[in-house]
Amino acid sequence: MEVRDLAIAFRTEAGLVRVVDNVSFSVAEREIVGIVGESGSGKTLSLLAVIGLIQDPNAVITGSLRYKGRELIGLAPRRLHRIRGREIAMIFQDPMTALTPVYTIGWHIVEQIRAHADISRRAARRRAIELLGEVGLPDPARQADRYPHQLSGGQRQRALIAIALSCNPSLLIADEPTTALDVTVQVQILRLLERLRRDFGSAVVLITHDMGVVAELADRVMVMYAGRIVECGTREDVFRQPGHPYTWGLMRSIPPLHGAKPRRLAAIPGSPPSPAERPAGCPFRPRCIFRHAPCLDQPALYARGGQEIACFLIPEGSDPEHATPAVDAA
Amino acid sequence: MSGPVPLLEAVDLSKHYRVGSWLGGRVTVRALDGVSLAVWPGETLGLVGESGCGKSTLARCVLRLTEVTAGQVRFDGIDITRTSQRALRPLRRQMQIVFQDPSASLNPRRRAGDLIAEPLRVHGRRSPADIRVRLVELMHLVGLHPDHLGRFPHEFSGGQRQRIGIARALALSPRLIIADEPVSALDVSIQAQIINLFMDLQERLGLTYMFISHDLRVVRQVSTRMAVMYRGAIVELGSTEAIFRAPAHPYTAALMASVPEAEAEARLPEQLPAGDGRGEMPEATGCRFQPRCPMARDRCRDEAPPLRDLGAGRVVACHFPLTEGEAHDAARPAC
Repeated sequence: MEVRDLAIAFRTEAGLVRVVDNVSFSVAEREIVGIVGESGSGKTLSLLAVIGLIQDPNAVITGSLRYKGRELIGLAPRRLHRIRGREIAMIFQDPMTALTPVYTIGWHIVEQIRAHADISRRAARRRAIELLGEVGLPDPARQADRYPHQLSGGQRQRALIAIALSCNPSLLIADEPTTALDVTVQVQILRLLERLRRDFGSAVVLITHDMGVVAELADRVMVMYAGRIVECGTREDVFRQPGHPYTWGLMRSIPPLHGAKPRRLAAIPGSPPSPAERPAGCPFRPRCIFRHAPCLDQPALYARGGQEIACFLIPEGSDPEHATPAVDAA
Repeated sequence: MSGPVPLLEAVDLSKHYRVGSWLGGRVTVRALDGVSLAVWPGETLGLVGESGCGKSTLARCVLRLTEVTAGQVRFDGIDITRTSQRALRPLRRQMQIVFQDPSASLNPRRRAGDLIAEPLRVHGRRSPADIRVRLVELMHLVGLHPDHLGRFPHEFSGGQRQRIGIARALALSPRLIIADEPVSALDVSIQAQIINLFMDLQERLGLTYMFISHDLRVVRQVSTRMAVMYRGAIVELGSTEAIFRAPAHPYTAALMASVPEAEAEARLPEQLPAGDGRGEMPEATGCRFQPRCPMARDRCRDEAPPLRDLGAGRVVACHFPLTEGEAHDAARPAC
């Protein structure tokens, strides 16, 4: 999948509000891409656009979304529908709201399979039970006849993944798939996502606010802030030498699990701007400790090795790490 | 810092709920099952556990927001378990709670100033001018601009709303603050600000905290001692540093191994056997963690482990506590 210059804006009473701007990225086969950002950074919206789920008549989507070489923007809803679900599937944060409480888990999967493939109800049910087993639910035949409320949060998320997998999608978009779950359950779901790539060869786009989840799973990382990509690169590069002050601040905001305990955490001051009140120039400028005159303009993505970073410090050759050598970026 | 009397003490506290089962009969849910702990003046006791383990029930019980089934709650040495609500009032000023979701706990139709002043009006006979002075003071204390007292909750960001929640809790100059997942609903960069605020306030005002969180990183950062809860009981309690260095309970070890590492070298942590500690009916006998424990032996099924003392204020509810060297391996299930 390839996204080029994606921009999403909404027409409001106050005029056109740009929510996502200038977003370009690609996902290769069997690749796990992590998209990190805080609430309102546009990470979910960008991916909703990818699968054509933004149906607000006031939304203006521009740019190009190519999936296996085919342009998705402007595609007729009926043809998009055929791709969505079969080729690209999405799982959401809260598995409870994604399931209809009055139908069994098995019904959900059968329905999904039959919407995209011409097979009998019985064969679909067999496949559904198979899938529930594959996502690690014990006693899958019994689980298929249970209702969503009878499952625990982790089991529901597994069931949802089974639904998403039912048509062997080549791309799975997972939006905060473990945020609502306990840590010991989170590990199980992350494991499962990793297995999907191995066993089914699916590519995964993982949207999350949790740097830890990305560090565990992603091959490549994209960091979004205020509707733009501020940094992207391989997991190793981004975590070892974060280039954007925001990425760097985000990592230092996380309390360490090992080693010395800082007396104070290096929090990023202020809070992310809402789409309507984003400052001109670099959107991170008001919260950035390295801001200087050039930041009044919007920085482009500059390359540094295999990384791309939207910050004027990069071409100047002084990234934050060098600017403050005393701090440990971990 | 330890005074002779804990500021807050729970002694063998139990809270059982009788709930109707869809099969007909009635079932007793043991939300809390014989929990004992003490919070000493000036310290932060961290309380960790996964959803449904009873952390919030414990908070509600020690504040007498729910009546306990058995056991005792003492505040500053005074038994408040069965005190009348009226006699409780003067003590209530000294213990306050900060909730997880500030947008849910603040009345959206009232201004920040009213919200923060409410406890002052309820508990004190202060003049409006007095209240005004205190409000400005509180706003400064939590890092908000006093000009924003007239704003409504929705006009603040999530982090600022939590600051209002904290200001409200601080209004009556309490000694104890129970913080129930106060940073869980916040973005990472904001979370760090609020954690810092809690730590600064403790230093400036000499506050005592019981800090509840499901996030081990947060608990490590804020607390001096911590308790780990699993299905209504404390399975391990001791100094935060010692527990992080070498967890003694297999559950604590598993919990720690489950936290994703935010470092490049991270590998996917080992997982516990399926299940999430809820749903399964408790064993009539035996250890409550036994069904998921990678180290369970016969004795764990037959006999519930009592809390045993490991010295240096450390207790663990396990027949076979992990020693230093085994702590790491234990997180990895044999199967």
